[in-house]
Amino acid sequence: MIWIGNVLVSQGEGGVYHERILGGFRVWDPYRSKLSALYHVGTGVELTPKIRVLYLGAANGTTVSHVADYVDAVYAVEFAPRPMQDLLEVSRRRKNIIPIMADAARPDRYAPLVEEVDLLYQDVAQPEQADIALQNCSFLKTGGMLVLMLKTRSVDVRKEPIEVFHDTLEVLISAGLIVQECVWLTPYHHDHAAIVCMKPAV
Amino acid sequence: MQSYWFGDVGEGCCTLFTGDTNAIIDRIRSISARMESFIPLEWEQAVQCGACRDRSEYLALLQAVCIAAAERSIREQYSRKDAELLQMVRTLDEIDTVINLLSERAAEWYLVRHPSFSRKYRRTPAHILVKAMHEKSRGALGRIAGVIEQLSETRTTLAKEVSARANDVMPNTSALIGGLVAARLLSHAGGLLLLSRMPGSAIQVLGARTALFAHLKTRSPCPKHGIIFQHRRVHNAPRNVRGKVARVLAGKIAIAARLDYFRGVADSDFLEAAQERIETVGKGNEP
Repeated sequence: MIWIGNVLVSQGEGGVYHERILGGFRVWDPYRSKLSALYHVGTGVELTPKIRVLYLGAANGTTVSHVADYVDAVYAVEFAPRPMQDLLEVSRRRKNIIPIMADAARPDRYAPLVEEVDLLYQDVAQPEQADIALQNCSFLKTGGMLVLMLKTRSVDVRKEPIEVFHDTLEVLISAGLIVQECVWLTPYHHDHAAIVCMKPAV
Repeated sequence: MQSYWFGDVGEGCCTLFTGDTNAIIDRIRSISARMESFIPLEWEQAVQCGACRDRSEYLALLQAVCIAAAERSIREQYSRKDAELLQMVRTLDEIDTVINLLSERAAEWYLVRHPSFSRKYRRTPAHILVKAMHEKSRGALGRIAGVIEQLSETRTTLAKEVSARANDVMPNTSALIGGLVAARLLSHAGGLLLLSRMPGSAIQVLGARTALFAHLKTRSPCPKHGIIFQHRRVHNAPRNVRGKVARVLAGKIAIAARLDYFRGVADSDFLEAAQERIETVGKGNEP
């Protein structure tokens, strides 16, 4: 990862969302992107030019564009037509973003398009976030990493965020994943937690 | 054998799929993997198949196909009849908010210019006051009043268009509760498909989100009605049966929305029976 002082940046064509440019690099704002927030408050997963990423919940392509600056290829899955319009515009300008308009809960629909990936990144506002992650683990290499952005308020508004967090952890652990890091994204994002897991050899 | 976007791979051999971008889109829409026996594709297979020469060409091809497929899906979703109605009714409700805000502000401004003026004991509707301000006031205040008048005209035309479009898109629901209220339900549900999948109980409290979540979190009573309160049968019903009317009406709307989504034409038998049932409940004659 490229840091200028304590500012996280990425190297690529700027102007995607009027992001600030610092010394020729694109500033990756932790208040806008949860993945950037994870790199600020925790360790996360080092993005290198070799790795391939499956990105669920790509939305407007803001974070996707930064990830694409670092890695070999990003498979960006998004369901809603409105953000997809923006994501397509970002994809047209970058060679390594493959936009897929599909439901992340139905991986069988887009499986014929996606390679094996080193990193599965998920940021979807769905109640069954953990299940969606597990279903998509078939795309993950042995030893590959899962980064799950848990929007506790999307899972159940009536439960306390910490309860939702523990429930989700349990689901992931009982599915055989090895949890490596858990952090809350405060002060950048409230009631959001990041869970980093590894897919072990069977 | 595994089917991928570029062809079928299995038992050491590979069959390349030949066809233009549109044909490939049709193909990826029709194939779906069995996840339990799924083997993720390797891009080298595409090279062996003869689909491309190297990785950058592979990514370029795949990206072109995926962008075209997404563009087609977006076009299809936006060309559904309800997509534009959604934007129309949301615009209508926002124009209302803007007109109210601006009229209130203009009235305050007018009061400062005319210290002896007061709206107490006068039954002057807002639009008459705006008209007076437009004619009598100089400068920016007069111009603002003029803009409010124009906005009101636009609002009236748009409301008619919303009603007409709702009658076309959701004939059964519109017949039950009127085009405007039907369109508002559609806007809150997020589309005709989503509305048609909702149970009556959800439709009943659509638009009463604050009250509903207050009820779920605390011990406050649950809301009896949301948007459907705007229908005369609900707000004119006697207090003691209002909740009942709302419930029955919501149930009928749920059926009507499904008829609208799957058939798209008015069903007179259903409408007659539904109207009759709602009437009886509204009179409070039913146990």
